[in-house]
Amino acid sequence: MNIAEFFVNVFIFPGGLFAIMLGLLLTGLDRKIYARLQRRVGPPIYQPWLDVVKLSLKEMVIPKTANYTVFRLAPLLGFAGMLAAIAVIPVAGIYSGLYQSGDLLVVLYLLSAPALALAIGAAASGSPYSSIGLSREISIMLAYEIPMLIVFLTVGMRVGMELGGTAIFSLSSIVNFQLSQGSLLLDLPMLPAFLAFLICIPGILGVVPFDIPEAETEITEGPLLEYSGSGLAMFKLTGGLKMLVLSALTVALFFPMGLGSFWLVNLLWFIFKCVVIMFFTTTLIRAMQARMRIEQAYKFYLLVPTALALISFVLTAMSFRI
Amino acid sequence: MGELLQNIVKKSPWIYRINAGSCNGCDVEMATTALIPRYDVERLGCRYCGSPKHADIVLISGPVTAVVKDKVLRVYDEIPNPKVVVAVGICPISGGVFRESYSIASQLDTYIPVDVNVPGCPPRPQAIIDGIAMAIEIWRKKF
Repeated sequence: MNIAEFFVNVFIFPGGLFAIMLGLLLTGLDRKIYARLQRRVGPPIYQPWLDVVKLSLKEMVIPKTANYTVFRLAPLLGFAGMLAAIAVIPVAGIYSGLYQSGDLLVVLYLLSAPALALAIGAAASGSPYSSIGLSREISIMLAYEIPMLIVFLTVGMRVGMELGGTAIFSLSSIVNFQLSQGSLLLDLPMLPAFLAFLICIPGILGVVPFDIPEAETEITEGPLLEYSGSGLAMFKLTGGLKMLVLSALTVALFFPMGLGSFWLVNLLWFIFKCVVIMFFTTTLIRAMQARMRIEQAYKFYLLVPTALALISFVLTAMSFRI
Repeated sequence: MGELLQNIVKKSPWIYRINAGSCNGCDVEMATTALIPRYDVERLGCRYCGSPKHADIVLISGPVTAVVKDKVLRVYDEIPNPKVVVAVGICPISGGVFRESYSIASQLDTYIPVDVNVPGCPPRPQAIIDGIAMAIEIWRKKF
Protein backbone atom coordinates (compact mmCIF):
# COMPACT_ATOMS: atom_id res chain seq x y z
CA MET A 1 0.00 0.00 0.00
CA ASN A 2 1.44 3.37 -0.89
CA ILE A 3 1.90 6.24 1.53
CA ALA A 4 -0.69 8.57 -0.04
CA GLU A 5 -3.41 5.95 0.24
CA PHE A 6 -2.44 5.33 3.86
CA PHE A 7 -2.73 9.02 4.72
CA VAL A 8 -6.08 9.36 2.96
CA ASN A 9 -7.39 6.33 4.86
CA VAL A 10 -6.23 7.54 8.23
CA PHE A 11 -6.87 11.29 7.96
CA ILE A 12 -9.71 11.83 5.47
CA PHE A 13 -11.82 8.76 4.70
CA PRO A 14 -12.93 6.67 6.58
CA GLY A 15 -10.67 7.74 9.46
CA GLY A 16 -10.03 11.37 10.38
CA LEU A 17 -12.31 13.98 8.92
CA PHE A 18 -15.15 11.72 7.78
CA ALA A 19 -15.17 9.73 11.02
CA ILE A 20 -15.24 12.90 13.13
CA MET A 21 -18.16 14.28 11.11
CA LEU A 22 -20.09 11.01 11.33
CA GLY A 23 -19.29 10.59 15.03
CA LEU A 24 -20.57 14.08 15.83
CA LEU A 25 -23.66 13.44 13.70
CA LEU A 26 -24.38 10.31 15.77
CA THR A 27 -23.95 12.28 19.01
CA GLY A 28 -26.25 15.02 17.73
CA LEU A 29 -28.91 12.54 16.63
CA ASP A 30 -28.63 10.83 20.01
CA ARG A 31 -29.26 14.09 21.88
CA LYS A 32 -32.14 15.09 19.58
CA ILE A 33 -33.91 11.73 19.77
CA TYR A 34 -33.36 11.62 23.54
CA ALA A 35 -35.04 15.02 23.88
CA ARG A 36 -37.92 13.98 21.64
CA LEU A 37 -38.44 10.81 23.72
CA GLN A 38 -38.94 13.12 26.71
CA ARG A 39 -41.30 15.31 24.64
CA ARG A 40 -38.80 18.18 24.67
CA VAL A 41 -37.80 20.21 21.62
CA GLY A 42 -34.14 19.44 22.20
CA PRO A 43 -30.99 20.91 20.67
CA PRO A 44 -30.49 20.98 16.89
CA ILE A 45 -28.76 17.94 15.32
CA TYR A 46 -25.63 20.03 14.58
CA GLN A 47 -25.25 20.96 18.29
CA PRO A 48 -22.07 18.84 18.92
CA TRP A 49 -20.20 20.79 16.20
CA LEU A 50 -21.15 24.07 17.89
CA ASP A 51 -20.06 22.69 21.27
CA VAL A 52 -16.68 21.61 19.93
CA VAL A 53 -16.08 25.01 18.26
CA LYS A 54 -17.03 26.85 21.42
CA LEU A 55 -14.91 24.66 23.68
CA SER A 56 -11.85 25.09 21.48
CA LEU A 57 -12.26 28.89 21.65
CA LYS A 58 -12.43 28.95 25.45
CA GLU A 59 -9.66 29.31 27.97
CA MET A 60 -8.07 26.05 29.19
CA VAL A 61 -7.63 26.11 32.94
CA ILE A 62 -4.87 23.84 34.24
CA PRO A 63 -5.02 23.12 37.97
CA LYS A 64 -2.01 23.83 40.15
CA THR A 65 -1.95 20.22 41.33
CA ALA A 66 -1.88 18.78 37.81
CA ASN A 67 1.07 17.27 35.97
CA TYR A 68 1.10 19.65 32.99
CA THR A 69 2.47 17.40 30.23
CA VAL A 70 0.43 14.31 31.04
CA PHE A 71 -2.70 16.40 31.62
CA ARG A 72 -2.39 18.01 28.16
CA LEU A 73 -1.43 14.82 26.31
CA ALA A 74 -4.02 12.40 27.79
CA PRO A 75 -6.96 13.58 25.59
CA LEU A 76 -4.82 13.01 22.49
CA LEU A 77 -4.21 9.37 23.48
CA GLY A 78 -7.89 8.42 23.38
CA PHE A 79 -8.50 10.44 20.22
CA ALA A 80 -5.59 8.83 18.38
CA GLY A 81 -6.67 5.35 19.51
CA MET A 82 -10.16 5.84 18.12
CA LEU A 83 -8.87 7.27 14.82
CA ALA A 84 -6.64 4.21 14.43
CA ALA A 85 -9.53 1.88 15.28
CA ILE A 86 -11.86 3.36 12.67
CA ALA A 87 -9.15 3.03 10.01
CA VAL A 88 -8.82 -0.69 10.74
CA ILE A 89 -12.52 -1.64 10.63
CA PRO A 90 -13.72 -2.55 7.10
CA VAL A 91 -17.08 -1.39 5.75
CA ALA A 92 -18.55 -3.73 3.15
CA GLY A 93 -18.71 -2.25 -0.33
CA ILE A 94 -16.84 0.94 0.62
CA TYR A 95 -13.61 0.27 2.42
CA SER A 96 -11.59 -2.87 3.03
CA GLY A 97 -9.64 -1.97 6.17
CA LEU A 98 -6.05 -0.90 6.60
CA TYR A 99 -4.48 -4.27 7.42
CA GLN A 100 -5.45 -7.72 6.25
CA SER A 101 -4.78 -9.87 9.32
CA GLY A 102 -5.16 -9.78 13.08
CA ASP A 103 -7.35 -6.66 13.16
CA LEU A 104 -9.94 -7.82 15.71
CA LEU A 105 -7.37 -8.08 18.49
CA VAL A 106 -5.92 -4.70 17.51
CA VAL A 107 -9.42 -3.22 17.79
CA LEU A 108 -9.82 -4.81 21.23
CA TYR A 109 -6.66 -3.04 22.42
CA LEU A 110 -7.54 0.24 20.72
CA LEU A 111 -11.02 0.21 22.27
CA SER A 112 -9.47 0.48 25.73
CA ALA A 113 -7.51 3.61 24.68
CA PRO A 114 -10.28 6.17 25.49
CA ALA A 115 -10.93 4.65 28.92
CA LEU A 116 -7.20 4.62 29.65
CA ALA A 117 -6.89 8.20 28.39
CA LEU A 118 -9.65 9.24 30.79
CA ALA A 119 -7.93 7.37 33.63
CA ILE A 120 -4.51 8.89 32.88
CA GLY A 121 -5.96 12.39 32.55
CA ALA A 122 -7.86 11.94 35.81
CA ALA A 123 -4.76 10.71 37.63
CA ALA A 124 -2.73 13.65 36.29
CA SER A 125 -5.31 16.26 37.28
CA GLY A 126 -4.84 15.67 41.01
CA SER A 127 -8.49 16.13 41.93
CA PRO A 128 -10.11 13.75 44.47
CA TYR A 129 -13.34 13.56 42.45
CA SER A 130 -11.33 12.61 39.38
CA SER A 131 -9.58 9.82 41.26
CA ILE A 132 -12.93 8.35 42.36
CA GLY A 133 -14.00 8.52 38.71
CA LEU A 134 -10.73 6.88 37.70
CA SER A 135 -11.21 3.90 39.99
CA ARG A 136 -14.79 3.45 38.76
CA GLU A 137 -13.71 3.76 35.12
CA ILE A 138 -11.10 1.03 35.53
CA SER A 139 -13.39 -1.35 37.41
CA ILE A 140 -16.21 -1.05 34.87
CA MET A 141 -13.65 -1.52 32.10
CA LEU A 142 -12.47 -4.78 33.67
CA ALA A 143 -16.10 -5.93 33.83
CA TYR A 144 -17.09 -5.24 30.20
CA GLU A 145 -13.87 -6.42 28.62
CA ILE A 146 -14.48 -10.04 29.66
CA PRO A 147 -17.78 -10.54 27.76
CA MET A 148 -16.41 -8.51 24.86
CA LEU A 149 -13.37 -10.76 24.60
CA ILE A 150 -15.56 -13.89 24.66
CA VAL A 151 -17.76 -12.43 21.89
CA PHE A 152 -14.68 -11.76 19.76
CA LEU A 153 -13.40 -15.29 20.43
CA THR A 154 -16.77 -16.76 19.44
CA VAL A 155 -16.94 -14.83 16.18
CA GLY A 156 -13.32 -15.67 15.37
CA MET A 157 -13.86 -19.35 16.15
CA ARG A 158 -17.07 -19.58 14.14
CA VAL A 159 -15.53 -18.03 11.03
CA GLY A 160 -12.25 -19.89 11.43
CA MET A 161 -13.88 -23.32 11.85
CA GLU A 162 -16.17 -22.72 8.90
CA LEU A 163 -13.18 -21.90 6.72
CA GLY A 164 -11.49 -25.06 8.01
CA GLY A 165 -8.75 -24.19 10.44
CA THR A 166 -8.14 -22.40 13.68
CA ALA A 167 -9.83 -19.21 14.84
CA ILE A 168 -9.51 -16.25 12.47
CA PHE A 169 -9.32 -12.74 13.91
CA SER A 170 -8.91 -10.88 10.64
CA LEU A 171 -11.81 -8.45 10.29
CA SER A 172 -11.64 -8.45 6.50
CA SER A 173 -11.89 -12.29 6.46
CA ILE A 174 -14.86 -12.12 8.86
CA VAL A 175 -16.62 -9.58 6.62
CA ASN A 176 -15.82 -11.48 3.42
CA PHE A 177 -17.02 -14.74 4.99
CA GLN A 178 -20.36 -13.15 5.87
CA LEU A 179 -20.71 -11.58 2.42
CA SER A 180 -20.46 -15.02 0.86
CA GLN A 181 -22.18 -17.21 3.52
CA GLY A 182 -24.85 -14.94 5.02
CA SER A 183 -24.61 -12.73 8.05
CA LEU A 184 -23.79 -14.17 11.49
CA LEU A 185 -26.84 -12.45 12.97
CA LEU A 186 -29.15 -14.95 11.23
CA ASP A 187 -27.22 -17.82 12.80
CA LEU A 188 -29.05 -19.03 15.93
CA PRO A 189 -26.00 -19.91 18.13
CA MET A 190 -24.54 -16.44 17.45
CA LEU A 191 -27.62 -14.58 18.68
CA PRO A 192 -26.63 -14.54 22.42
CA ALA A 193 -23.17 -13.24 21.48
CA PHE A 194 -24.79 -10.45 19.46
CA LEU A 195 -26.96 -9.49 22.45
CA ALA A 196 -23.94 -9.62 24.77
CA PHE A 197 -22.03 -7.26 22.50
CA LEU A 198 -24.97 -4.85 22.34
CA ILE A 199 -25.13 -4.86 26.16
CA CYS A 200 -21.41 -3.99 26.34
CA ILE A 201 -21.84 -0.87 24.15
CA PRO A 202 -23.42 1.51 26.73
CA GLY A 203 -20.76 0.49 29.25
CA ILE A 204 -17.94 1.31 26.87
CA LEU A 205 -19.58 4.60 25.89
CA GLY A 206 -20.22 5.47 29.53
CA VAL A 207 -23.86 6.53 29.14
CA VAL A 208 -26.73 6.10 31.61
CA PRO A 209 -27.21 3.50 33.25
CA PHE A 210 -23.43 2.91 33.13
CA ASP A 211 -22.20 6.51 33.36
CA ILE A 212 -20.99 5.79 36.88
CA PRO A 213 -17.41 7.07 36.25
CA GLU A 214 -18.78 10.43 35.06
CA ALA A 215 -21.83 10.71 37.31
CA GLU A 216 -22.28 14.48 37.21
CA THR A 217 -24.69 14.63 40.13
CA GLU A 218 -22.47 12.79 42.61
CA ILE A 219 -18.83 13.19 41.54
CA THR A 220 -19.33 16.15 39.16
CA GLU A 221 -18.27 14.45 35.90
CA GLY A 222 -15.37 12.54 37.53
CA PRO A 223 -12.35 12.29 35.22
CA LEU A 224 -13.61 15.18 33.05
CA LEU A 225 -13.96 17.50 36.06
CA GLU A 226 -10.69 19.42 35.63
CA TYR A 227 -10.76 19.53 31.84
CA SER A 228 -11.87 22.69 30.08
CA GLY A 229 -11.44 24.31 26.69
CA SER A 230 -9.63 22.34 23.99
CA GLY A 231 -8.92 19.34 26.24
CA LEU A 232 -12.62 18.86 26.88
CA ALA A 233 -13.34 19.39 23.17
CA MET A 234 -10.93 16.54 22.43
CA PHE A 235 -12.79 14.26 24.86
CA LYS A 236 -16.11 15.19 23.23
CA LEU A 237 -14.70 14.29 19.80
CA THR A 238 -13.41 11.01 21.23
CA GLY A 239 -16.89 10.27 22.58
CA GLY A 240 -18.45 10.70 19.14
CA LEU A 241 -15.73 8.58 17.52
CA LYS A 242 -16.21 5.87 20.14
CA MET A 243 -19.89 5.65 19.26
CA LEU A 244 -18.99 5.35 15.58
CA VAL A 245 -16.28 2.72 16.17
CA LEU A 246 -18.61 0.54 18.23
CA SER A 247 -21.46 0.76 15.70
CA ALA A 248 -19.07 0.07 12.82
CA LEU A 249 -17.62 -2.90 14.71
CA THR A 250 -21.09 -4.34 15.40
CA VAL A 251 -21.96 -3.94 11.72
CA ALA A 252 -18.69 -5.58 10.63
CA LEU A 253 -19.02 -8.50 13.07
CA PHE A 254 -22.69 -9.35 12.67
CA PHE A 255 -24.37 -7.87 9.56
CA PRO A 256 -21.93 -6.26 7.13
CA MET A 257 -24.13 -6.70 4.01
CA GLY A 258 -24.13 -3.79 1.59
CA LEU A 259 -26.91 -2.86 -0.81
CA GLY A 260 -25.82 -3.37 -4.39
CA SER A 261 -22.46 -2.17 -5.63
CA PHE A 262 -22.84 1.62 -5.82
CA TRP A 263 -20.67 3.14 -3.06
CA LEU A 264 -23.01 6.01 -2.10
CA VAL A 265 -25.93 3.64 -1.47
CA ASN A 266 -23.63 1.44 0.60
CA LEU A 267 -22.41 4.41 2.59
CA LEU A 268 -25.93 5.65 3.37
CA TRP A 269 -26.97 2.11 4.30
CA PHE A 270 -23.97 1.86 6.64
CA ILE A 271 -24.85 5.19 8.30
CA PHE A 272 -28.44 4.00 8.67
CA LYS A 273 -27.28 0.81 10.39
CA CYS A 274 -25.04 2.83 12.71
CA VAL A 275 -27.96 5.08 13.68
CA VAL A 276 -30.21 2.09 14.37
CA ILE A 277 -27.58 0.45 16.60
CA MET A 278 -26.99 3.75 18.39
CA PHE A 279 -30.73 4.23 18.95
CA PHE A 280 -31.25 0.82 20.54
CA THR A 281 -28.04 0.64 22.59
CA THR A 282 -27.64 4.24 23.72
CA THR A 283 -30.60 6.56 23.28
CA LEU A 284 -33.45 4.25 24.22
CA ILE A 285 -31.68 2.77 27.25
CA ARG A 286 -30.53 6.23 28.36
CA ALA A 287 -34.08 7.55 28.24
CA MET A 288 -35.54 4.58 30.15
CA GLN A 289 -33.02 3.81 32.87
CA ALA A 290 -31.57 5.47 35.95
CA ARG A 291 -27.91 5.27 36.90
CA MET A 292 -26.70 2.06 38.57
CA ARG A 293 -24.24 1.90 41.43
CA ILE A 294 -20.75 0.72 40.56
CA GLU A 295 -21.08 -2.70 42.21
CA GLN A 296 -24.43 -3.28 40.50
CA ALA A 297 -22.94 -2.48 37.11
CA TYR A 298 -19.89 -4.65 37.83
CA LYS A 299 -22.06 -7.61 38.87
CA PHE A 300 -24.39 -7.06 35.91
CA TYR A 301 -21.55 -7.17 33.38
CA LEU A 302 -19.97 -10.23 34.95
CA LEU A 303 -23.32 -12.07 35.00
CA VAL A 304 -25.60 -11.24 32.09
CA PRO A 305 -23.45 -10.50 29.02
CA THR A 306 -20.76 -12.95 30.11
CA ALA A 307 -23.36 -15.72 30.45
CA LEU A 308 -24.87 -14.86 27.05
CA ALA A 309 -21.46 -14.80 25.40
CA LEU A 310 -20.49 -18.11 27.03
CA ILE A 311 -23.73 -19.77 25.85
CA SER A 312 -22.90 -18.67 22.34
CA PHE A 313 -19.30 -19.83 22.70
CA VAL A 314 -20.30 -23.32 23.91
CA LEU A 315 -23.04 -23.74 21.27
CA THR A 316 -20.63 -22.73 18.51
CA ALA A 317 -17.91 -25.02 19.81
CA MET A 318 -20.34 -27.96 20.08
CA SER A 319 -21.67 -27.51 16.57
CA PHE A 320 -18.18 -28.09 15.20
CA ARG A 321 -17.12 -31.06 17.34
CA ILE A 322 -19.36 -33.56 15.61
CA MET B 1 -13.13 37.63 16.54
CA GLY B 2 -15.31 37.14 13.48
CA GLU B 3 -19.06 37.53 13.40
CA LEU B 4 -19.43 33.93 12.20
CA LEU B 5 -17.61 32.47 15.19
CA GLN B 6 -19.68 34.63 17.54
CA ASN B 7 -22.83 33.28 15.93
CA ILE B 8 -21.60 29.70 16.33
CA VAL B 9 -20.51 30.22 19.92
CA LYS B 10 -23.79 31.88 20.87
CA LYS B 11 -25.65 28.61 20.29
CA SER B 12 -23.66 26.59 22.81
CA PRO B 13 -23.78 28.21 26.26
CA TRP B 14 -23.29 25.75 29.10
CA ILE B 15 -24.87 26.58 32.42
CA TYR B 16 -23.56 26.04 35.92
CA ARG B 17 -25.49 26.62 39.12
CA ILE B 18 -24.02 27.97 42.34
CA ASN B 19 -26.17 27.80 45.43
CA ALA B 20 -25.00 30.66 47.67
CA GLY B 21 -27.16 29.71 50.66
CA SER B 22 -30.43 29.59 48.76
CA CYS B 23 -33.61 28.14 50.32
CA ASN B 24 -33.81 25.78 47.27
CA GLY B 25 -36.86 27.55 45.82
CA CYS B 26 -34.93 29.16 42.96
CA ASP B 27 -32.98 25.93 42.41
CA VAL B 28 -36.22 24.03 41.89
CA GLU B 29 -37.32 26.62 39.35
CA MET B 30 -33.94 26.34 37.58
CA ALA B 31 -34.27 22.56 37.43
CA THR B 32 -37.70 23.13 35.93
CA THR B 33 -36.19 25.02 33.00
CA ALA B 34 -33.99 22.04 32.25
CA LEU B 35 -36.22 19.07 32.92
CA ILE B 36 -39.78 19.99 32.04
CA PRO B 37 -40.66 19.72 28.33
CA ARG B 38 -42.57 22.97 28.35
CA TYR B 39 -39.60 25.13 29.41
CA ASP B 40 -36.82 23.06 27.78
CA VAL B 41 -33.67 25.18 27.92
CA GLU B 42 -31.68 22.66 25.86
CA ARG B 43 -33.33 23.98 22.69
CA LEU B 44 -31.15 27.10 23.09
CA GLY B 45 -28.13 24.78 23.04
CA CYS B 46 -27.69 25.03 26.80
CA ARG B 47 -26.57 22.18 29.00
CA TYR B 48 -26.47 22.10 32.77
CA CYS B 49 -22.98 20.88 33.55
CA GLY B 50 -21.61 19.42 36.76
CA SER B 51 -18.18 21.01 36.73
CA PRO B 52 -17.42 24.75 36.97
CA LYS B 53 -14.56 24.18 34.51
CA HIS B 54 -17.08 23.45 31.71
CA ALA B 55 -19.35 26.43 32.36
CA ASP B 56 -20.04 29.59 30.36
CA ILE B 57 -23.04 31.07 32.16
CA VAL B 58 -23.23 30.95 35.96
CA LEU B 59 -26.60 31.08 37.68
CA ILE B 60 -26.17 32.13 41.30
CA SER B 61 -29.09 31.83 43.72
CA GLY B 62 -29.41 32.64 47.38
CA PRO B 63 -28.30 35.51 49.64
CA VAL B 64 -24.53 35.28 49.92
CA THR B 65 -24.14 33.97 53.46
CA ALA B 66 -21.01 34.75 55.45
CA VAL B 67 -19.95 31.09 55.50
CA VAL B 68 -20.43 30.41 51.79
CA LYS B 69 -18.98 33.68 50.44
CA ASP B 70 -15.36 32.52 50.06
CA LYS B 71 -16.44 29.25 48.47
CA VAL B 72 -18.59 31.07 45.93
CA LEU B 73 -15.63 33.30 45.02
CA ARG B 74 -13.36 30.25 44.70
CA VAL B 75 -15.75 28.40 42.39
CA TYR B 76 -16.29 31.59 40.38
CA ASP B 77 -12.53 31.92 39.84
CA GLU B 78 -12.36 28.35 38.53
CA ILE B 79 -14.71 29.09 35.64
CA PRO B 80 -12.72 29.66 32.44
CA ASN B 81 -13.10 32.99 30.63
CA PRO B 82 -15.22 34.33 28.95
CA LYS B 83 -18.03 33.93 31.49
CA VAL B 84 -21.29 35.67 32.40
CA VAL B 85 -23.08 35.80 35.76
CA VAL B 86 -26.85 35.72 36.23
CA ALA B 87 -28.25 36.43 39.70
CA VAL B 88 -31.42 34.36 40.07
CA GLY B 89 -34.03 35.38 42.66
CA ILE B 90 -34.25 38.45 44.83
CA CYS B 91 -31.76 37.16 47.43
CA PRO B 92 -28.46 37.66 45.51
CA ILE B 93 -29.73 41.03 44.26
CA SER B 94 -30.72 42.66 47.54
CA GLY B 95 -30.77 40.01 50.26
CA GLY B 96 -34.52 39.49 49.98
CA VAL B 97 -36.22 38.41 53.18
CA PHE B 98 -32.80 37.76 54.75
CA ARG B 99 -31.63 41.32 54.12
CA GLU B 100 -30.79 42.51 57.63
CA SER B 101 -29.68 39.11 58.94
CA TYR B 102 -26.43 38.74 60.89
CA SER B 103 -25.41 35.75 58.78
CA ILE B 104 -25.56 37.47 55.38
CA ALA B 105 -22.32 38.85 53.92
CA SER B 106 -23.59 41.40 51.40
CA GLN B 107 -25.23 41.64 47.98
CA LEU B 108 -23.63 39.49 45.28
CA ASP B 109 -22.48 42.39 43.10
CA THR B 110 -20.17 43.71 45.81
CA TYR B 111 -17.99 40.63 45.19
CA ILE B 112 -18.65 39.46 41.61
CA PRO B 113 -19.57 41.45 38.48
CA VAL B 114 -23.23 40.51 37.87
CA ASP B 115 -24.40 40.81 34.24
CA VAL B 116 -28.11 39.96 34.49
CA ASN B 117 -30.53 40.19 37.41
CA VAL B 118 -33.61 37.96 37.45
CA PRO B 119 -35.70 39.12 40.44
CA GLY B 120 -38.52 37.07 41.95
CA CYS B 121 -39.11 34.85 44.95
CA PRO B 122 -38.75 32.50 43.17
CA PRO B 123 -38.70 33.85 39.59
CA ARG B 124 -40.88 32.06 37.05
CA PRO B 125 -39.14 29.64 34.66
CA GLN B 126 -39.96 31.97 31.76
CA ALA B 127 -38.13 34.78 33.55
CA ILE B 128 -35.09 32.57 34.13
CA ILE B 129 -35.01 31.55 30.46
CA ASP B 130 -35.34 35.22 29.48
CA GLY B 131 -32.43 36.03 31.78
CA ILE B 132 -30.36 33.26 30.19
CA ALA B 133 -31.19 34.61 26.71
CA MET B 134 -30.01 38.09 27.78
CA ALA B 135 -26.87 36.56 29.29
CA ILE B 136 -26.14 34.75 26.00
CA GLU B 137 -26.18 38.09 24.14
CA ILE B 138 -23.73 39.63 26.63
CA TRP B 139 -21.55 36.51 26.63
CA ARG B 140 -21.34 36.37 22.82
CA LYS B 141 -19.82 39.86 22.67
CA LYS B 142 -16.99 38.77 24.97
CA PHE B 143 -15.45 36.44 22.36
